[in-house]
Amino acid sequence: MSVLTRHRPPHSASGNERAASAERAPVGGQVERRSLKRSARPVSGTRIPRGMRGPIVVSLLPGLLLFGTFFLVPFFVLTGTAFARWSGLDFAWVGLDNYRQMFQDPVFFKAIVNTLFYAAASVFIQVPLGVGVGMVLALRPRGWKALRTIVFVPFVISGAAYAVIFSMFYNPRAGLLNNALGALGLPGDRDWLFDTATARWAVAGTFVFIIGFVVVLVMAEIASIPNELYEAASVDGATTWQQLTRITLPLLRNVIGTAILIRLLVDIGMFDLVFILTAGGPDDATATLALYAYRAYLSGEWGYANAVGSVIIVIGLVLIITVRRAFRIGERAL
Amino acid sequence: MDKARRTTVATVSAAALLAGVAGCSSGPDAADSGEVVVTCATCQESPTDPFLQYNYEAAQRFNEEFAGDFRIETIENPNAGSGDDRLQYYQRLALADDLPDLFQLNSGEIKAMQETGKLHDFASSLEADGDWAASFQDQAFDALTGPEGQIWAIPQQRDAIGIYYNSALLEAAGYDRFPATWDELEDLAAELKQQDKIAIALDGDWATKLMWANLIGTQPGGDEFLGEKIVELEDWGEDPAVVQATERLRDWHVEGYVNADAFSGDFQNAAAPYLTEEAAMVPNGPWFVKTNLTTEAAPGLYEKTGYAPAPGWSDGGQGTVVVSGAGWVSGTTDERKLEAVETFVKFMTSEDEVLAQAQATGANPPVQVDAAATEAADLEPLATGLIEQTADLTYSYPHARVHGPAGLDTSWKNLWPAYVKGDMDTDEFLQRLTDDSASSAQ
Repeated sequence: MSVLTRHRPPHSASGNERAASAERAPVGGQVERRSLKRSARPVSGTRIPRGMRGPIVVSLLPGLLLFGTFFLVPFFVLTGTAFARWSGLDFAWVGLDNYRQMFQDPVFFKAIVNTLFYAAASVFIQVPLGVGVGMVLALRPRGWKALRTIVFVPFVISGAAYAVIFSMFYNPRAGLLNNALGALGLPGDRDWLFDTATARWAVAGTFVFIIGFVVVLVMAEIASIPNELYEAASVDGATTWQQLTRITLPLLRNVIGTAILIRLLVDIGMFDLVFILTAGGPDDATATLALYAYRAYLSGEWGYANAVGSVIIVIGLVLIITVRRAFRIGERAL
Repeated sequence: MDKARRTTVATVSAAALLAGVAGCSSGPDAADSGEVVVTCATCQESPTDPFLQYNYEAAQRFNEEFAGDFRIETIENPNAGSGDDRLQYYQRLALADDLPDLFQLNSGEIKAMQETGKLHDFASSLEADGDWAASFQDQAFDALTGPEGQIWAIPQQRDAIGIYYNSALLEAAGYDRFPATWDELEDLAAELKQQDKIAIALDGDWATKLMWANLIGTQPGGDEFLGEKIVELEDWGEDPAVVQATERLRDWHVEGYVNADAFSGDFQNAAAPYLTEEAAMVPNGPWFVKTNLTTEAAPGLYEKTGYAPAPGWSDGGQGTVVVSGAGWVSGTTDERKLEAVETFVKFMTSEDEVLAQAQATGANPPVQVDAAATEAADLEPLATGLIEQTADLTYSYPHARVHGPAGLDTSWKNLWPAYVKGDMDTDEFLQRLTDDSASSAQ
């Protein structure tokens, strides 16, 4: 891998082309090398030309204003009021009381377990499935374009619409799932969404097969892998399977990590799907942290809801750091 | 481009963007002609909600009649209809001192909103106009008052809520009238099950709690629980009437008398089997005729439909839920606007308007109406028939939602399916329901 990293090509040219270009500069080589060096400098080290600082600052002001208004202010309100009893009508600092109450509430732990369950379903089912389908479609079998579209379409449907469709799908009286099971001679009378034994699985079943986003990410990444690697492997006698597992898959590390990260961030804030399908029931079997916070908010316990929100943020940060390190996201694979 | 020019361009761009953002705010809403304009957040046109549509049409009539003096200005409000978010929406507006001049809340929401101190108290208006105050039905203000005699809302309706039944399905099961006792109803349900029919269509929320209230309210002391103890008791399981009602309702599910999809909290899951004649009964208010029965039902179902009070635990022990529904409230403190608000609510409770509302929505008037005028208005017979029967019933009681904690709906939807499916016993269910409803209502 380190060899591949050392020979990383620029965006517009392969490594061979870049080397050839450098060799072709007998006189002006110094200039070209200097130019390459300059372009390789990190952006943060770039000096702002004299006279541009004022206009840049002024140009950034609207963006900073919006960022401050819609991100920084809510963020500080959330973290600050997490230590207060705040119902909108009254306000009192209560120190760590909200957190003490939270960690004594069994429903909070149910919500954490459920949220992690949905996250695990994404990481261990949705992403691998998406990677697998993406790798197969990247081989461009017959009808791959149509398949890619079919796989991607569910991704563009809103979560709320999806929830309504699946609530009908799971309906125990007239739903497609029970009717299909009945037609196959299997028991077709289960209430999938409102039975504590199946509710969480039923909710996870609504999103783990929405793999379009992962498929498209993977296909795009595969398209950027230089053909020379496959040609060389082919010459060395590697089979298609070996090429997939020894070349393609390792080079997908970055994009797989990114897909996992995106899914985790979606899952720890999961709300609409669960709210519409089960409202967190039965007996909190499907409740998520976001829904738990929403219930507190509806009850007028805004400080408590924000304390839950701060826990969601911390979990999100831990997951981001863990996944980024595990997958070395940002480091070039080639 | 030199430095000064670049700075100027950037500054102008930023200013233009900020000006654009600032320009999104609305201007003043005062009328120039001396006409007092009041905002109404539940007067918008609605093709799906007959109550909102009626409010809209009534507001137009009001504007016509009081042109030059008062005018209702409609606010397009996504939270106008009943829903989980409506209370939060108005609480936020109350905090921002930006409540509409006129809007509607149900009794539970009024209880929560009174703590904001931003609702207008109509007590003095009613005191000042004895005739108007006397025109209201008995107990019309019961669920709309504050602890110190405040009257937070003017009721829009006063309805008896019964059980719709398909007389053809009952006849096929050997019943030529609606059961008078719960035992009889269960016999009917067993017979209907034999015929592959659903006896009672429920939804896990509104309709299910209606039957729960019926089973509680038709026992001695049941109305006391639904009126007072539901707030006072620390464990509803201490009340034997509640325990019996809860277990009986659960058993209907276990026995298969209720639709299998009775836990979603979506009333359509209860309405659909009734409207397609798969189910023989569904509990709901008189508005069901307008919202579902005459628009979505199988052909001829309206003619087969009857509307009955709840059976009793013994002969002669029938009863019914009686509710005021949503009432008109005001968030203004401006004297001139309050004059307009008072004129509007008097207009809305006039004989002509309550009859127009009854025709449009099926809801019954909150005020006493001349019998001849009622007959001439040709009101929905199913709705008026039940309200006439109410006077002769042994029991009348509020819905569990009227005086129950605001968190009852959320807690019920969460716990009821688990209880019915055997994940907890009655003691645990009622204790947790009490606790969760209260904690969600703080």
